[in-house]
Amino acid sequence: MKEKFSFKKQYRARTIFNIFNFLFFTLVLVAVLIPLIKVFVDSLDASGSYGIRLWPQNPSFSAYKIIFSTTALYQPFLISLYVTALGTFLGLFMCTIGAYVLIQFEMPGRTLFSYLLLFTMIFSGGLVPTYLVMKDLHLLNTLWAIVLPASLNVYNLILMRNFFEAIPGSLFESAEIDGCTPFGIFTRIVLPLSKPALASIGLFFAVAFWNEYTNFTIYISNPKLFNFQVKLRSLILDDQSLAAASSEGIYAKTVQNAAIIVAVLPFMFIYPFCQKYFVTGITMGAVKE
Amino acid sequence: MANINSTVTMKKKPLGGKSDLRTRIWKYRYFYIMFLPVLVALILFYYLPMVGIRFAFYKYTPFAPPTFVGMANFKRLWSTPSFWTAFRNTLEISLVNLFLSMIISIVVALLINEIGHLRLKKTVQTIIYLPHFLSWVVVASIFMIVLSPQGGFVNQVLLSLGIIKEPIYFLAEEKWWRPVYFFISRWKETGWGTIIYLATLTSISPELYEAASIDGAGRFKQTLYITIPSIMNTVIIVLILNLAKVLNLFESVFVLYNPLVYHVSDVIQTYVYRLALNANAPDYGFSTAVGLFKSVVSCMLVLFSNWASKKVRGRGIL
Repeated sequence: MKEKFSFKKQYRARTIFNIFNFLFFTLVLVAVLIPLIKVFVDSLDASGSYGIRLWPQNPSFSAYKIIFSTTALYQPFLISLYVTALGTFLGLFMCTIGAYVLIQFEMPGRTLFSYLLLFTMIFSGGLVPTYLVMKDLHLLNTLWAIVLPASLNVYNLILMRNFFEAIPGSLFESAEIDGCTPFGIFTRIVLPLSKPALASIGLFFAVAFWNEYTNFTIYISNPKLFNFQVKLRSLILDDQSLAAASSEGIYAKTVQNAAIIVAVLPFMFIYPFCQKYFVTGITMGAVKE
Repeated sequence: MANINSTVTMKKKPLGGKSDLRTRIWKYRYFYIMFLPVLVALILFYYLPMVGIRFAFYKYTPFAPPTFVGMANFKRLWSTPSFWTAFRNTLEISLVNLFLSMIISIVVALLINEIGHLRLKKTVQTIIYLPHFLSWVVVASIFMIVLSPQGGFVNQVLLSLGIIKEPIYFLAEEKWWRPVYFFISRWKETGWGTIIYLATLTSISPELYEAASIDGAGRFKQTLYITIPSIMNTVIIVLILNLAKVLNLFESVFVLYNPLVYHVSDVIQTYVYRLALNANAPDYGFSTAVGLFKSVVSCMLVLFSNWASKKVRGRGIL
């Protein structure tokens, strides 16, 4: 009798907790989504009569049309795509070859190589010396200054190495006996077996290169080479570059809102399909550093 | 480098006896060639800048060749109040953010873990991970618009509810800047921060909970006596890992601060940036010295974290 009563009490406590939990997450989701929704809604409102509505009045895509018909606005978008594609490719190239060399445990100098890589995680030259090296290499105001240094990402390289380490060594041995060259083993065994890691780490690189901003502000001063993040930042900070929009009767802030949406659009397209790879990537890193 | 050179000289030699060094190097010759791009990038972009650290001891501007001045830059650094403001701000902002991120992420992870409905749980996770992938520029842009005193959403809501009389310029008032910064950081990173705790939570053996409920422990007591002790190890690891990054604060502050709030928001990296690149008279020598100070303190923090990590879980972070 007594036991039954306590079960009932527990069940009631559980229900109350569930209701509380449901309310809590409703609130969390509202807090996460409202800023994004508000920006999206206002980007559709050409007249700029925003208020506190969360739905558009007379929705129109005119601000988006402005962005994709003004050279100064769509060129940065193309630069972003270019940097992301090139950077992700080079990043994966560096990661995979580096990781493949680091799993050759018998190789003389392997330990030295891994210490050289690890040391960069402890100590760095810092912003100014790196800038001066870029200047001496004549990389200032070229997109190589963005792509090349970031393509060697030691953290991602070590994630990749951990993944390669898990490939059974017997596979390498039998391939070697069958006359496979080291490069053949790399392209025919290691890479095909590492598709999930390539997807996760590739996505990490892609997001990082798409979102790149700091290095552009340091190394790039030629407006023709700005990526979309830099352009978005200047749109938000000074409305002068929005003269074209206001001449067509579109509220400058609407173009700012639309530019934010354009900056996240490519990511929003892939996110629902790739979310699992992002999560695999971080748990892979968390579990075995 | 030495290894690569010896591969070249070894080319014509016949394969020697057992596992002598030359044979091993010859055996791995293709791997040295493969590693070359990584090594070149490593030297150019990571090790050459370290050579440039010598400029911390030079007087160096774009307009004159560097001249050696010994410790003068460091003496100047020691007596510059704006440097110490930046140093203090870096520590305060980072540490508060670290503390907040742990508490909030753990609580949210525990509550996500209690969501029974699987689809609902997945949806919540998908949405709260999302802001992590937005760039700091995008996040700053969103909040600069939403928090704007001229028709920004938050000010309009507060005005129409009668909570405030005058719009608040959240990002340009000293007393508001830090709370707003912490809110925005948490908005962006809380979801992502829960992943590691959720991974730990799923690894707790269900038998522990069964045993506890047989012993009469309710959900709350189970959380208190099983869940929390089980994630304690992860909590410490996350704390240690993040401690190493305390001084690396840059982009998030850089896109959210402005000259009106330098006093509470300027951090070491933004200070170096302004000194070196954004001034009318860039001072490479002094800014390198500030950067070196930061690198050395950071290095000590990483080594301490590594040592602490070895103590706690028998494995370093490096």
